[in-house]
Amino acid sequence: MTALLPHFVHHRPETLPRLLDLLAEHGERARILAGGTDLLERMRAGIVHAEHVISLGRVPGLDHVRFDEGMGLTIGARASLADVGRHPAVRQFYPTLSRACTVMCTPQICNMATVVGNLVNGSPSADAAPPLLIHDARLALVSTAGEREISLADFFLGPGRVERRPEELVREARVPAPAPEAGSSFQRISARSAVDIAAVLAAALLEIGEDGRIRSARVALGAVAPTPRRCLVAEELLAGGEPDPALFEEAAGLCAAVARPIDDTRASAAWRRAMVGVLSRRALEEAAQVARGGVR
Amino acid sequence: MTGDPARANPPLIGQRIPRPDARAAVTGAAIYTDDLKLPGMLHGVLLRSPLPHARIKRIDVSRARAVPGVKDVITGRDTPPVKYGNWRLVPESQDETALALDKVRFVGDEVAAVAAIDRETAERACALIDVEYEELPAVYTELEASAEGAPTIHDPYPNNISLNREITFGDLEAAFVRADYVREDVFTTHAVQHAYLEPCASLAAPDEGGRVTLWTSTQVPYIVQCLLASVLGLPENHVRVIKPQVGGAFGGKMELRKWEICAAFLALRTGRPVKFTLTRADEFAFGRRRHAMTLRSKIGFTRDGRITGRDFDVLLGGGAYNAMGPTAAFLCGNFGGMLYKFPAYRYIGRHVYTNTPPASAMRGFGAPQALFACETQMNLAAEELGIDPIDLRLINAMEVGDEIPGVTKINSCGFKESLVKVREMSGWDAKRRRRTPGRGIGIGCYSFISGGVFNWFNTKYPFSTCEVRLFEDGTAHLLTMAAEIGQGSDLVLRQILAAELGISIEKIRLTAADTAITPKADLGTWGSRVTLMMGNAVLDAARKIKDMLKPVIFAEFDLNQIHDVTFAGDRVFCAVKPARGLSLAACAYKALRLRLGEPLTAIGTYTPRNMGLVSPAFSFGAQVAEVEVDRETGLVKVERMYTAHDCGVPINEMAVEGQLEGSIHMGLGYALMESLDVRDGVTRNASFLDYKMPAASDMPPSESAAIVTYEPAGPFGAKEAGEGLVGPTAPALSAAVHDATGYRCLDLPITPEKVLRGIGRLSPPAPGGESRQPREAPGAPLPSTR
Repeated sequence: MTALLPHFVHHRPETLPRLLDLLAEHGERARILAGGTDLLERMRAGIVHAEHVISLGRVPGLDHVRFDEGMGLTIGARASLADVGRHPAVRQFYPTLSRACTVMCTPQICNMATVVGNLVNGSPSADAAPPLLIHDARLALVSTAGEREISLADFFLGPGRVERRPEELVREARVPAPAPEAGSSFQRISARSAVDIAAVLAAALLEIGEDGRIRSARVALGAVAPTPRRCLVAEELLAGGEPDPALFEEAAGLCAAVARPIDDTRASAAWRRAMVGVLSRRALEEAAQVARGGVR
Repeated sequence: MTGDPARANPPLIGQRIPRPDARAAVTGAAIYTDDLKLPGMLHGVLLRSPLPHARIKRIDVSRARAVPGVKDVITGRDTPPVKYGNWRLVPESQDETALALDKVRFVGDEVAAVAAIDRETAERACALIDVEYEELPAVYTELEASAEGAPTIHDPYPNNISLNREITFGDLEAAFVRADYVREDVFTTHAVQHAYLEPCASLAAPDEGGRVTLWTSTQVPYIVQCLLASVLGLPENHVRVIKPQVGGAFGGKMELRKWEICAAFLALRTGRPVKFTLTRADEFAFGRRRHAMTLRSKIGFTRDGRITGRDFDVLLGGGAYNAMGPTAAFLCGNFGGMLYKFPAYRYIGRHVYTNTPPASAMRGFGAPQALFACETQMNLAAEELGIDPIDLRLINAMEVGDEIPGVTKINSCGFKESLVKVREMSGWDAKRRRRTPGRGIGIGCYSFISGGVFNWFNTKYPFSTCEVRLFEDGTAHLLTMAAEIGQGSDLVLRQILAAELGISIEKIRLTAADTAITPKADLGTWGSRVTLMMGNAVLDAARKIKDMLKPVIFAEFDLNQIHDVTFAGDRVFCAVKPARGLSLAACAYKALRLRLGEPLTAIGTYTPRNMGLVSPAFSFGAQVAEVEVDRETGLVKVERMYTAHDCGVPINEMAVEGQLEGSIHMGLGYALMESLDVRDGVTRNASFLDYKMPAASDMPPSESAAIVTYEPAGPFGAKEAGEGLVGPTAPALSAAVHDATGYRCLDLPITPEKVLRGIGRLSPPAPGGESRQPREAPGAPLPSTR
């Protein structure tokens, strides 16, 4: 028998304005229910206390996954990991995101959990974060006061803390379309092959110009700092450089140096730091290979 | 030419038959203890110690009692102060009480219990119980706890060694003098959890005349009945224990537990049914586990690879109470000397109390630890002697007719055949010659028991007993106390009965594991005993039933005395003149008439006699692991497992395969991932998220071969198949990782970090960074060879 869920009021609004009214009314005493795979477990465990649970289930217009070459990708608040991971445009243009969505959990959880929920939890080890960070994703937050858009990089504040006011809903994630010549890679390491939280995450996106040099680079890390984060020093080093093993090794060293891993029950800080180096180098190598048209 | 006795077996033996309860189990239809609800039922919750070692100065339950909906609150002052423990033969080993009396000895030690109208109320009330503790210094590992000056966890055991087990034969000193090569190594193994999918649950209901009925998730209904009666001060038969469907146990449910006592005690006090159900977090943080051990082994060889002797010294991390530690301590020493011919052998096992949750029985019962140490040492020795590891084992392997000194003679043994077969299956010789960077291959072997002989429970009843009833419609009813816990015994026992009576399985109704209905006794499901022991009891009963029917055929067909009667295809007939026979139903009908209605009922029993103290039969096998190691991350990918094993005659091949796959899964988790992260007595990974049990996708492809031998002590030649196989995986993987990387793991588990450190790609950890590192045993010399 699992622990009991404490009592709460379950709201199931049928329109976005009604949802936003409820959020405005209950604020910090409310939690938003999308897939529920994290929320319900945390409520059972007594980690999260919510007097009001507001379900997104009946609000239309939140489960979209849309791609447009101009606008890029938009991911609605209720779009599941499976919806996103299997979407043909995501597989084609954001293969790292597709991979992250399909390897982070079991099919059962994939079908329920949402990409936006994965971000809003504010977990340092959110699998969806590094792939979205390398694509410069932005989030649209709405409340009764209107809408604002912020970059995903600014969204993460610390473990479990994100830039979202209690009355706001993260309505969607917006991801610009990558340059056609870009290549990306997603690397993850965990003790188990599946159904496991990542011990270290790394993602890289490289655009290689016609002169064979790196036009732009993005490197993002997960599970090795209080928040998922980009490694700007490595990106600066890479930009304009020759995509060769020596440069990747040096950039990976910078990633390992900026990582702030902790010792916990999953792994030691020393091993995590070493793995940041290995995974970011592998991500860069693979991204370069893809950019050069080798393999996806 | 005597022929293969297995060929005389009825056709039902060895068939692949799926478990009848499998569909219900995987669709969620099966009814477990926690699913049971009775009118007026109360919910029980336990208050556990937050401290690893403390004296209880005062307990105030008044605030808890005052909570509306609370029906009762009990502490160790209410429950009888009777000491209990499974080792009833040795009363001084019985060191537990229903609830803590004066001291708590681990984080999670049960201090009080609340019964209330719902669980929420019980939990709220539990939090209001006020306990004042005087904290005492605590010790967590077997080395710390047995060191000079360690705090005493139980009086009168000043060095926390609750018991010693010794096994000695041959002249050990001479053995090492005679040896051309001697090596000594220290190994450590860690505690892991059974992680059965059904957390423990118990429901007790008061019955008339001061009796009580307990539905409980257990593998030992009889032991629970007897010990619960003794704790409650009731006649044994005032306690009725019923085992509903059990979702796995693996040794973790083989004792009387606190919540069983509290449920029964509270049910009798309140007059209402009371149910306790543990959470997954309870199980991980406070549940039974496999013993952590520190194992020192010294072994000698002649130049040509013959073992001259072994000196085996083991400290068992026992946790706060003995639990099944005495058996693990005894068996560990047996498993260190069972595979090979040892002219001389000495074992000392010391069971050490620590301030951690009690370790107890867990699949393999001392074998996984002993085999990790001893089989790894065989691999180390093979390398230094320049002998192929399989050849070294073939030189020393046990054979039929060999005696395990002081134990018994081995009557069936397919060990050498297993070694030869696994060598061929795995492409061992070619792969050892053709080296691929990052890939490696390694071997581990095992032997195991088919049930225990030593009667530590001191039962006065047969070890296994059943009743068979035959009816006039040709159907039968098998009543047995044997506990199906997911291993498949309900099917195997029906298969044995059906085979012997010559009827189909569907014709047999089974009633199992209800101590008020099924005949006394069966000692339970542990030590891989049920197929052999209850299987023999079923055969005994079936033969008695057959003897009741045979005269009908003799009389009906006027058979000559020299003939015999055969039972097959739902018929009873003259073996050489098959037309002279009746359907089983018609024969039963006539037998009932002839007996004036006296029922066709027989009691079958089995007790091993004159079979030493260990087991009636021994299984053997060899396993090869092939791995690929990522030299940058240290991650080990198991590419393929090859197993050749001798479990006698398989009764149900599908069940044997299931055991093998489950064993590889468990062995792989033990070797590579699973570990309880306990700091200062507090478990920090009490969930499946952080306790890394392998997932289905971690399972490697696996090939297996059954080496069929005929075990004379087993029913239809069968012996153990459920536990031994969990042993060889860790040493095989350790050897394969060494083959791939040059890193040899002597301290389980083989983590990516250890691999990287072992190959010099990661600097050593800061002091205190890892919880279990091999350290020098107190008073033990350092290993002479490394």
